[in-house]
Amino acid sequence: MMKTVSTPISRRLVLGAAVTAAGLALSGCGGGSTPAAGGGGNVELNFVYWGDSNRAKMTDAAIKIFEEKNPGITVKSEYQDSGPYADKLATRFAGGNPPDVLNMANRTLLEYAQRGTLADLKSFPEIDLKNIPATIQSRGEVDGKLYGLATGVNLIGMVVNKTITDQVGVTIPDDKTWSWEDYAKFATEITQKTGGKIYGAGYDVATETGPILLARQRGEDFYTKDNKLGVSEETMRDWFQYSVDLRAAGGYPPAGFFEQIGGSPAQSYLAKGTVASQIIPINNYKGYNEAAGGNVVLLRMPGETTEKRRGYSADPSMLWSIAAKSKHPKEAAKLLNFLINDADGAAETLTQRGVPINPEVTEAIMPKLGEDDTKFVQMVADIQKDDLAPAYVYPKGASVVADTLKQLATEVEFGRVTPADAAKTFLEKSNAAINK
Amino acid sequence: MSVLTKQTSGAAATLAAPGGKPSRARGKRTNQRSGYLFLLPWFIGMLFTIIPFFASLYLAFTDYNLFTEPNFVGLANFQAMFEDPRLLQSLKVTFIYTFVSVPISLAVALVIALVLNRGLQGLAIYRSVYYLPSLLGGSVAIVMLWRYIFGNDGIVNGFLGLLGIQGPAWVTDPEFALSTLIVLNVWTFGSPMVIFLAGLRQVPTMYYEAASIDGASRWRQFRSITLPLISPIIFFNLIMQLIGSFQTFTQGYVMSGGTGGPADSTLFYNLYLYQKGFTEFEMGYASAMAWLLLMIIAIFTAINFIASKFWVFYDN
Repeated sequence: MMKTVSTPISRRLVLGAAVTAAGLALSGCGGGSTPAAGGGGNVELNFVYWGDSNRAKMTDAAIKIFEEKNPGITVKSEYQDSGPYADKLATRFAGGNPPDVLNMANRTLLEYAQRGTLADLKSFPEIDLKNIPATIQSRGEVDGKLYGLATGVNLIGMVVNKTITDQVGVTIPDDKTWSWEDYAKFATEITQKTGGKIYGAGYDVATETGPILLARQRGEDFYTKDNKLGVSEETMRDWFQYSVDLRAAGGYPPAGFFEQIGGSPAQSYLAKGTVASQIIPINNYKGYNEAAGGNVVLLRMPGETTEKRRGYSADPSMLWSIAAKSKHPKEAAKLLNFLINDADGAAETLTQRGVPINPEVTEAIMPKLGEDDTKFVQMVADIQKDDLAPAYVYPKGASVVADTLKQLATEVEFGRVTPADAAKTFLEKSNAAINK
Repeated sequence: MSVLTKQTSGAAATLAAPGGKPSRARGKRTNQRSGYLFLLPWFIGMLFTIIPFFASLYLAFTDYNLFTEPNFVGLANFQAMFEDPRLLQSLKVTFIYTFVSVPISLAVALVIALVLNRGLQGLAIYRSVYYLPSLLGGSVAIVMLWRYIFGNDGIVNGFLGLLGIQGPAWVTDPEFALSTLIVLNVWTFGSPMVIFLAGLRQVPTMYYEAASIDGASRWRQFRSITLPLISPIIFFNLIMQLIGSFQTFTQGYVMSGGTGGPADSTLFYNLYLYQKGFTEFEMGYASAMAWLLLMIIAIFTAINFIASKFWVFYDN
């Protein structure tokens, strides 16, 4: 009856803890029976990943094919939003009840690997690595052991709503040669010509993939080979300053415009029609194109040819890993091998998690892709043909770096701190987190 | 006041029956027994929490990342806390929230209770309506709703727009984000209000009658009769609200999506504790934080109890 939040919650927590304890105990003595030789034992794998219901549907279809090809193995899948997924994963590992095959994020791979919670994928003969390029493998390697394999290759790109630009008569610059200044001019022009109703630029200042690209263009490695922070204060200051200038010129919306909404393309500001361009992970191109009316063009990031070097690198959108303490490592390895090497399974999930890392699989599914997906796969293939700088595993503390960036971006947005001070603070805090 | 009536009945009993003392003692024993009986569920609940309680005390002196065994580090966690800017920020946020919203919430509760005490028709309906928000206030759904109400396209800014005022970005501006949660806390004034109402109804009307015969104004009556007689209730509500406020978590977590709001402006102490423990895997530090919070709450409760000697009137 009291609004003493303490008492009701603690009782609920107690009940919840009791139920969870009971549940864990039950699941512990549940389906973990290892099949004896010649026995009819059915192995049940626990497979977890993050995503939405659309991804789940496609993944389930692929899993069905796996189960058909591997009688005796059933797969129990679970999925969540990426935020709750990370929390639940940590709790499961801590509780000694890890899943068998799991999604791993770039930011946390090193932490999990160095704690001995992940298995070395090279130790499984069931996983065939011969078609996987070395640059992809290196993104999951720590001390020579392979702890995660990219689920797919992905890049960031700029999407522009051509309906809007046509309406106001603004030409979209050539994306193979445009600079950051060109982008700023383009965005400002759109806002001016729409009378301030639609803002030219709507990209997210707080996502680290932007500064990572900019750093690489300037000749720096945001995250270096020896797991340190390599971006300079100057680059970070320029990144913040760029958004401040763009906002002052009108190309970028005013402070407080962007609220924390859902992450899906349908809920984006591009779809709402209030901004004309955004930076997205390009495997979502189809989703954004559909949500924003079908006339959205996919472009390369600015500054690729006007800065010191190429900023792009082939990044894993996320990784697959196997828990070190998995009760069925062999079967888990079979599932992981299926996920990256099997063309039939890939035909179901297509490019949901990026372009398949096995080039043969990519070729096999190309005919099945729709027009938008083909465009993005083509862009990935084209960019990969160029001489790209290598990229490395994110160091420990990468999640703190991401949070710090987010916080400072807000402070810069509301003018509470200058870009120069923000850059300084960013480096201090990030280095402290990484070198701890 | 229940204290008043108990005393009169006690005195009457002693006067009435020669064996008054034993019957009063027996009454006291039954009262105690029923008290313990009411506490019994809490005792049983304690059985579940007593082990984690002491486990966290041990963990507060260790470095524990959930995956490997905890290793003892002595006072290192507590030392680190003093130099942790985010911890100080979280204390600042929690203190501002508590010391702004609790007085306002209690004041509103008291005022509404006074109005309802006039004995309006449909009192039960008004009471339920005002009480309802406090039932829902801490729930996830209401906090999400709050985020939309104060959002850029929300009702609040829409209303301000009608008045010709350009409302700020309540939810995304670090200056204003916490105030939306303070408003939420004040909106849930219902439960202290109901308790105030019960207390007000216990003030014997004969005092007011006597005072108005003597020519006392309403305000004088309020100051000299009502306030002292309900001061134990004010004290009770104050303590409960303070303790609850210090432990706020849900509102901060849901409003900011777990991050602590725009630039840590809604980083409540418990939210930071949660982040430390479950996102950064520093369970030892989080346990130390929990015990620091316990000490802070204990200190403020003690201060309140000591101060109560000066303003709470117990009528005996």
